[in-house]
Amino acid sequence: MEALGFNLFLFLAQLINFVVVVGLLTYLLYKPVTKMLNDRTQRIEQSLKDAEQVKLQLANAKRDYDAEIAKARQEAAKIVAQAQDRAKTQEAEIITQARREADKVRDEARVSAVQERDALMREAKGKIAELVTMTASQVLAAELKARGHDKLIAESLAALDRRN
Amino acid sequence: MSGRMQALVVVVVMLAVAAASKMFLHSGDPHVEVAAEALFYIAPGFPFTNSLLTMLVVDVVLIGLAFFATRNIQQVPRGLQNIMEMVLEALYNLFRNISPKFIDRAFPLVATIFLYVLISNWSGLVPGATSIGGCVPKEQASAKIAMVQEGANAGSIQYMAAAEYDNPYTSCAPGYALIPFGRPPSTDLNFTFALGIISFLFFQFWGFKTLGIGYLSKFFNLQGIMSFVGIIEFISEIMKPIALALRLFGNVFAGEVLIAIIIFLVPLVVPMPIYGFEIFIGFIQAIVFALLTMAFLSIATTSHDHDDEHHGEAKGHAH
Repeated sequence: MEALGFNLFLFLAQLINFVVVVGLLTYLLYKPVTKMLNDRTQRIEQSLKDAEQVKLQLANAKRDYDAEIAKARQEAAKIVAQAQDRAKTQEAEIITQARREADKVRDEARVSAVQERDALMREAKGKIAELVTMTASQVLAAELKARGHDKLIAESLAALDRRN
Repeated sequence: MSGRMQALVVVVVMLAVAAASKMFLHSGDPHVEVAAEALFYIAPGFPFTNSLLTMLVVDVVLIGLAFFATRNIQQVPRGLQNIMEMVLEALYNLFRNISPKFIDRAFPLVATIFLYVLISNWSGLVPGATSIGGCVPKEQASAKIAMVQEGANAGSIQYMAAAEYDNPYTSCAPGYALIPFGRPPSTDLNFTFALGIISFLFFQFWGFKTLGIGYLSKFFNLQGIMSFVGIIEFISEIMKPIALALRLFGNVFAGEVLIAIIIFLVPLVVPMPIYGFEIFIGFIQAIVFALLTMAFLSIATTSHDHDDEHHGEAKGHAH
């Protein structure tokens, strides 16, 4: 063995050196790198879980959003329908009211017209009477001389009443 | 000029360079020394050898790599951290396939075996690592394989005592021999045996710890033919560290010798593919040592009963 260079001191030196190197590399290299690799694996797994969670939440949010949108559309349609119904009702009420008011106005107008006509008639009668009286008086003034004044007035009033 | 012509020109030029180097460059005799050479003595009987010096360089390289890779460790790895993480993750997955149960306990040891042996194997391929050295008195130098310069056997390569050997191409004064400062630790039996023993103690420890006293029944039992099998198992178990150590030493040492001889024969061009081959061999030997340690651990922590159970299951399935 000595011819092959085997030496107990060298053997022990190499043995101890290697054990020390194993210890140093474990402390300096393997532990930190293994820890880092494990941390990274956990982080990646956590990220994947989080991504899955976010995906799920997104799907839920989309579903909720779609449901809300559908609900809103239904409500909008319902509101529009209600508004249309209400509008139709109001339209009918307004038309009825308008007709009623129009009828009222027309009735009032008619009454007023009748009253005015009556008043005008009365006034006309008065005026006519005055005119007739005046005319008659002038005519009669001229003719009284031939006929009686009072008889002529009575005949004129009688003729006027018949015409009305 | 066509591609084929260019390749032909390159080959011719390289052959010319190789032939010229053989004629005009003198690299000296191949330096082949089985034992690591002493640079000086720490204590009587305790030499500080060139392999011990290279071992310290390998230590510094490995610890330096570890320090710089992890001194500012980041969640998003960059540079050296990225490379080390990639290497360690690949090793972890490789070793886990062999013994998933013991990977966390064994990983620091087997990963260090791989990294240490790899850098150690490649350390001999660094230019100058095994050729730059110092002159020591010949009586301190070991015997070596060298070319006989004078006499009836001149030109032959023989194993000679240092005093008989004289290399005309070194700058050492007469009476002094050149000893390279560097030598891969894997070409020193002290290192390979130390590694083999560490590996052996490791898997024996976990074998005992896992199987308890029943671990010994693999080697010692009195159940007919199994007693004979136990003896064979015991011998093969004892041979494991020796096989580990000699395999590593033999392969790397043979590579160093091959390179030394090729450089001696043709100094330029021809050694290049051999260097490439030795890079590959260095890697293979490192991974083989680590994988065998893991495989032996897996075998040591598996009981024969477990094997029997598997055989029983296999038979059951067959029926």
